[in-house]
Amino acid sequence: MIFASIIVAIIIILVLVFVGIYNGLVGARNGVKNAWAQIDVQLKRRHDLIPNLVETVKGYMEHERGTLEAVTSARNLAQSMSNAGPADRAKAEGDLGSALSRLLAVVENYPNLKANENFLALQEELTSTENKISFSRQFYNDIVLKYNNMIQMFPSNMIAGMGGFQPSEFFEVKDAGEREAPKVSFSAPPKTSS
Amino acid sequence: MKCPLDKNDMIMVEHRKIEIDFCLECSGVWLDSGELELLVGVLNAEGADLHLNELLSKPAGQGKRRCPICAHKMNKIWLGKGAKILIDSCPLGHGMWFDAGELQKVLREMEPAGAPANTTVIDFLGTAFQATHGKDSKG
Amino acid sequence: MWEQIRDNQVRSVILVTFMGILLLLVGFAIGYYFFGDPVLGLIIAALVWGVMNLIALFQGDSIILGMSDAHKIGPDDHPRLYNVVEEMKIASGLKKMPDIYIIDDPALNAFSTGRDPDHASVAITSGLLDKLNRDELQGVIGHEIGHVNNRDIRLMMLASILLGTIVILSWYATRIMFFGGMGGGGRRGGSSGGGAAQLIILVVGLVLLILAPIFAQLIYFAVSRRREYLADASSALYTRYPDGLASALEKLENNDTKVQTANKATAPMYISNPFYKGGSAGNDLFATHPPLAERVHILRAMSGASYADYEKSYKEVTKESVIPGSALKETAAVGLREATPGAQAGELQDQLDRTRQTSDMLWKMHNYRSLNCSNCGTLLRLPPSYNQPSVRCPHCGFENPL
Repeated sequence: MIFASIIVAIIIILVLVFVGIYNGLVGARNGVKNAWAQIDVQLKRRHDLIPNLVETVKGYMEHERGTLEAVTSARNLAQSMSNAGPADRAKAEGDLGSALSRLLAVVENYPNLKANENFLALQEELTSTENKISFSRQFYNDIVLKYNNMIQMFPSNMIAGMGGFQPSEFFEVKDAGEREAPKVSFSAPPKTSS
Repeated sequence: MKCPLDKNDMIMVEHRKIEIDFCLECSGVWLDSGELELLVGVLNAEGADLHLNELLSKPAGQGKRRCPICAHKMNKIWLGKGAKILIDSCPLGHGMWFDAGELQKVLREMEPAGAPANTTVIDFLGTAFQATHGKDSKG
Repeated sequence: MWEQIRDNQVRSVILVTFMGILLLLVGFAIGYYFFGDPVLGLIIAALVWGVMNLIALFQGDSIILGMSDAHKIGPDDHPRLYNVVEEMKIASGLKKMPDIYIIDDPALNAFSTGRDPDHASVAITSGLLDKLNRDELQGVIGHEIGHVNNRDIRLMMLASILLGTIVILSWYATRIMFFGGMGGGGRRGGSSGGGAAQLIILVVGLVLLILAPIFAQLIYFAVSRRREYLADASSALYTRYPDGLASALEKLENNDTKVQTANKATAPMYISNPFYKGGSAGNDLFATHPPLAERVHILRAMSGASYADYEKSYKEVTKESVIPGSALKETAAVGLREATPGAQAGELQDQLDRTRQTSDMLWKMHNYRSLNCSNCGTLLRLPPSYNQPSVRCPHCGFENPL
């Protein structure tokens, strides 16, 4: 009798542990999905800002046609990959980031442009969007790391195997591209004396 | 913001990105501490050598007027190294008040000799309120 | 994440429990001294504490935000501030965007309130908003979001209500005792004579009533110190740029306008008056403790942005430890980012622009009418009470019709 109730107790505990781990995995997977959606929102926002930026800047920088076209085509390519996986998308977005940073570096040579209020507002939006992309990327990668660990570690790996949980891809912009993330600056040095 | 003299609502005047409160009634000028700091920064960038602490030294006793921000009685202080002008300044550092008469008098005194470096604040205020420059003789 | 929050809480909860015990002792002493019945004193202490809680609960956020002329802002009112808060919301993984308030005050301060992370508000004075460049603003907002995310606000609210109750009870008790209150203690003599033993208890009770507020304040500082350091560490982790917050704190320290002395003068009120500070559970950016210079030093010495980096730097400066162990083993290495370019070079110009952006918003909120003088272009702002048909430009003397 005692033996039977111990068996029953063990089974109940096992079921509870199973349910607990399973729910934990589902929670983590949803967390990954949400974090990904957050990146997606910011990437779309950047895609939306670029045509505006190019339009505003165009009149001021006749000689930079090549730079502008590079940005536009990188943006179109990145947008066409909107439904691709994180790794592929990260590459396209990384290229867009590099093209943008080249454009914004050139902007420094056009003081008139930097006095344009429209451009200043765009610049703030773009800076902030870049920050949001990199913060949400950081947050997403943290969550993916935890989720993947759960899938690979004992004992949750057994339940993950049974429930068909797949590891998620990281969203990693290659290091070189990240170093030269768009340099949006806020102000011209006053230099009124010159 | 109310004028410390006649309690009228003051208007704001923005001159070279510095905001100054101005009373249309008495032509007095209120300079906020934050704006004063900016002003000093701008003038120093143009070659002046001003220090906030020096600007606001030499208290000459308490006056009757009250700071429009905190309503404390303001101190009478001498402005600048030359000690040419006696103005009201909030004891809590909210800002300073220039009477129209005071401001114009000093401006006129300085014209022949040429303004020394430490009166650049007054120069600035002079150009900000050119229009009130001449009509003060009645006040 | 959860483990870390729990671990954070444990130490602080122990300290707050001490404050609770202190309050019970004060109630006990009051009951014993004035009524000869400790239970009655405990009931009084509980009642005062309950009333304070109710006030805090119902008016918590609104009282400080309403009191300090705070304006709630949206994305269009002040894009930079709104964006920076949203960036920190994303970096910290908060679920809901906090409400953002600007307080029209030249003093330099920022704080966060709210009972849980889903009902949080972040407030910043216009003075501070003018002073900080984008990186610095991000550091400060990161610190405030850190308070929100570390569940500091409710804990500090609890602690400050306890502190306030203890201060008020012992203040009144000692005053009554010293000034003619002896008659009120008539019953104490009437109790069965314990002689020396009773005298000792009375003296101990008296000493307790005098020392309780001091102890309570020390515990309160111990709790808040820890929370401030943790929020700094969170800010560094979120922004990946500890120099931003460090530089903001330096600006606070070096602020040479006299406004800060005004703050210092009113500071004791903030600490001991729970209706002001406690009820709001405001987490002041520079609550006099811990020293700003030390916080700057720690932030500047960080070689990475993770909690482990903060811990390492903290140890070097203070020889102690501040981050809970669970948080240390959890976080992977986090690199630092570069300063936002340009923010340093054009500091003065940037500050002018920032100030104009903020004041522009505030004038609009106060319904001032703006116009450019049609002769010289000088910008004039007229108060809503202005009802003349025209205005004379003080710069050029031109009469502008309205």
